[in-house]
Amino acid sequence: MTMTAPAPTPARPRLRQVRAPRARLAGIALRTPYWVLTGALAIVFIFPLVWAGVASVAPQPGSSQVDGWGFGNYVTLMEYQAGLPRYLLNSTLVSGLTVLFTLTASVLGGYAFSRFRFPGRDVLFLLTLAILMVPYATLLIPLYVMLNAVGLQNTLVGLSLVLTVFQLPFATFMMRISFDAVPRELDEAALVDGCSSFRALRTVLLPAVKPGVITVGLFAFLAAWNDFVAPLILISDSDKIPLPLAVANLRAQVMGIVDYGATEAGVVVMALPCVVLFLLLQRHYVRGFMSGALKG
Amino acid sequence: MPANLSVRPPVRPAGRTRPALAAAARRRALRGWGYAAPTALLVIGLFVLPVLLVGQMSVSDWPLLSGNQGINAPQNYVDAVGHRYFWDSVVFTVKYTVIATVLLIGLGLGFALLVQESSRWTAVLRTSILVPSALGLASASLLFYALYSPQVGPLSPLLRSLGLADGPVTFLGTPDSALWSTVFLVVWRFAGFYMLLLMVGLQGIPHEVLEAARMDGANRWQTFVSVTLPLLRPSLALCTVLCVTGSLLAFDQFYILTKGGPDNSTLTVVQLIYNVAFQGQNDLGVAAALSIVVLVVLVVVNVAQLRAMRTGQED
Amino acid sequence: MATHRRASVRLVASFLAAGLASTALAACSASDGDGGTQEAEVTAEGVDDGTELTLWTRAPLEQQANLLVEAYNASHENQVELTVVPNDDYVAKVGAAAGSDSLPDLFAADIVYVPNWVQQGLFADVTDAVAELDQADQINKGHLEGGTLDGRQHVLPFVLDVSVMFYNKDLYEQAGLDPEQGPTTLAEFSDQAKAVDELGGDVSGTYFGGNCGGCLVFTWFPQVWAGGEDVMNAEGTESLLAGDTAQEVYGVWQDLVQSGAVGEGSKEETGATWTGPFLEGEVGVMPFPATMLATADEALGEVGVAPIPGPDGGASTFVGGDGLGISKDSENADQAWNFMSWLMSEEAQVEVLAKNGDVVSRADLVENEYSTKDPRVLAVNEIAAQGRTPLAINFQQAFNAPGSPWVTMVRNEVFGEGGSVETDNEEITAVLAQ
Repeated sequence: MTMTAPAPTPARPRLRQVRAPRARLAGIALRTPYWVLTGALAIVFIFPLVWAGVASVAPQPGSSQVDGWGFGNYVTLMEYQAGLPRYLLNSTLVSGLTVLFTLTASVLGGYAFSRFRFPGRDVLFLLTLAILMVPYATLLIPLYVMLNAVGLQNTLVGLSLVLTVFQLPFATFMMRISFDAVPRELDEAALVDGCSSFRALRTVLLPAVKPGVITVGLFAFLAAWNDFVAPLILISDSDKIPLPLAVANLRAQVMGIVDYGATEAGVVVMALPCVVLFLLLQRHYVRGFMSGALKG
Repeated sequence: MPANLSVRPPVRPAGRTRPALAAAARRRALRGWGYAAPTALLVIGLFVLPVLLVGQMSVSDWPLLSGNQGINAPQNYVDAVGHRYFWDSVVFTVKYTVIATVLLIGLGLGFALLVQESSRWTAVLRTSILVPSALGLASASLLFYALYSPQVGPLSPLLRSLGLADGPVTFLGTPDSALWSTVFLVVWRFAGFYMLLLMVGLQGIPHEVLEAARMDGANRWQTFVSVTLPLLRPSLALCTVLCVTGSLLAFDQFYILTKGGPDNSTLTVVQLIYNVAFQGQNDLGVAAALSIVVLVVLVVVNVAQLRAMRTGQED
Repeated sequence: MATHRRASVRLVASFLAAGLASTALAACSASDGDGGTQEAEVTAEGVDDGTELTLWTRAPLEQQANLLVEAYNASHENQVELTVVPNDDYVAKVGAAAGSDSLPDLFAADIVYVPNWVQQGLFADVTDAVAELDQADQINKGHLEGGTLDGRQHVLPFVLDVSVMFYNKDLYEQAGLDPEQGPTTLAEFSDQAKAVDELGGDVSGTYFGGNCGGCLVFTWFPQVWAGGEDVMNAEGTESLLAGDTAQEVYGVWQDLVQSGAVGEGSKEETGATWTGPFLEGEVGVMPFPATMLATADEALGEVGVAPIPGPDGGASTFVGGDGLGISKDSENADQAWNFMSWLMSEEAQVEVLAKNGDVVSRADLVENEYSTKDPRVLAVNEIAAQGRTPLAINFQQAFNAPGSPWVTMVRNEVFGEGGSVETDNEEITAVLAQ
């Protein structure tokens, strides 16, 4: 895996304050195409999301919002089967557990891979990355069998464990390079001071890899929040299903009709927390990517 | 590669004897295992064992609804490769992978260059491009399913009112339009992520190197080709590996948008696996054989990519 | 350290053992579960003792399933818990559960999949219990037959759905057609569709799921039957869809496509939205699921209903919908039978299904308080009693699966050049005969 950093080059985030004087001289005339181009680009990327929001409250035949603007589709979603609050709770639980499991495994694992030498280390690391290479769809039946074997079938904990496994390649890789980027002297000093290795991890290293932790946690949350296939197979109780599955049921409730209103409202409800988190944490995960030695 | 992975030995406190050192190393190794244990448990329990089970399925007669009926090797593999859509799906998957990879990395790099200056506007632009990455691929596909729909989709009327089309536009009706509509979705959803990775790569290029090239009289394009690109190589390689792997395993977007249609023209290999397992044939044996084939191909492709990358680096 | 390592090895080993054991178990139960060996204590009503029962169904039947479950729970000690699964993923869900012996007590299946699922041993044998029912001979034959293997019965009709011609009376009037007279031959159907299409705007003559095997089976098979031909041999191992009548049917639709009377989106319609355009008032006439009558009335005012004709008249219908059975894994078979038995009662059939505008599954209840109020509902019920359910072990793979040979054949004949009907038909036969 040469994509790992060869040596812990210190991160070098750098502001490009020096702007070519040419550009300023070129004047507005030359900048116009740039504004048009980039403006159009921003619109292309934002438009679908805005449209979903608008369309979800717009009148639409065949949805719960037929006449005039309003929140009919959201009301339907609210009252569907076990009710939106229940699905939000399930999704929050699954996502929370997945973030917890992913962080536990990847922070400890990343620390182990970065700081310890032990037999089987490279094999385990490569195996972890290999998870990326397996078609998700085929693993589901065996996963179902595995969860049954340990009595975790039809539980949110089991579902979270499965979702965690699919987060591990990214998470472990990310945490490993984050630890790699931290100067070794830092934790060695702590160890010499008599700290246990766990204490060194907790008090010295963890603050240093915080951006990496936030990045990993965020991506685990996004993946778990949005996943549809795993709960479809693994969860059978209708009051345990997470939001994406409920929306999938709702949108095709009547044969041969897609309730686009419910679909759009569902997409909005699913997307909103993700977009908010994504924007709130933007500073952190950009730094998370930077702090890792991806550039090496 | 091992050289890269190796870890510098910890600072050894002076004055220890050799056996004591060995014991210390062993303790450290044990601690390493301890920290790696959660990862190892998860990987073994929920990845290695399931893959072994897939392997067992692939050599067994294993109908979806009635379970293992005994050994059936190598017939499953023969059936898998002989499936009437196998080669079509392979060709389509490769075609899609090439298109998606070229576009995503090309656009990702373009966007990264576009937003690397820090100004308020580029921050807005960067955020807009990144926001779709917050959506799940399945939600994004559902959203585009509505966008492309002939019934409620706003795109067809929009194109008509702009005079860009004179009739109703079908986004998923022909093989080509279905492919490009899906590619558009994927670019929309993932361009931001690759932009981010490449942005990080760009930030890592020492400013002095670029200045030096400029001093030498290189123009922007020459600087880009002969300085930026080579230095960006590791980031580009990481992006390529991720993008190729992801695209070869493409499923959700096609499952939701096209179901492999029209006329099986957008059937990817993973969709074929899903269809064989769950939509008609209901044969887990053949589906598992196909999965093993895909897994082997992906391992080979990725090892090859990493090799190519490394020799590239050593040059 | 040694103990640590050994412990983890043991953990992994037991994990592996457990996994393999469970798969071995799955294999055993499946092989001897063939045909269903479970013998419930034979009573007409089963047991109502406050047991929690689980029931799975696919999303398009959610409305009916909800009503039935609510009515049952309100009047019984047993409580049924309903789980709804998205239509396209239902087989995956059932398959995963079947392999691990964790099917629910009761589950519904698209009636065309039932012969296959019965053969795979997913349903328990209910022959003796069915015989105890008072009106056993009145239950829909097509569904019962679908669940019969070697003379043993496994399923009862859960929700029936039949295909009939729906037409939009407003559009008929605007097009100068008689709103009280639907098509009686395919030629009339074609003429009327074209007449409506003349109205222009968003309105089109007709619509169909051009990329949806299930929709095409449901709406086009009756056209062949009405013309007096069969679609398959009696065993369901040979396709007869290259016959003269079948070819006439394709011809009618090809002509409609070429003359532009078919709605936008038909060609790529995968079935997810195939009834949408009609319900939005944009389609003149098309074969439609009769369960949607109430929905359609609500959207469009009164819609016209006619039986599906053949090229030269006649009438037929596809009796689809879902069958319900007790799973091989149920430990509450007697209690589950209580639900099945109640499902066949007048209370369930009339006070729940007929009241909701659905078709009843008992011939003696066709004329009931609700159906007699509306001659169209009565007509639909009567059509259903004479309809047909095509049965084949490999039905899903041959017809319903995405990209099935049947879909290929229809698309070649209707959208393409045509001329490959014989070879395409052989492809279907090849799958059916597997």
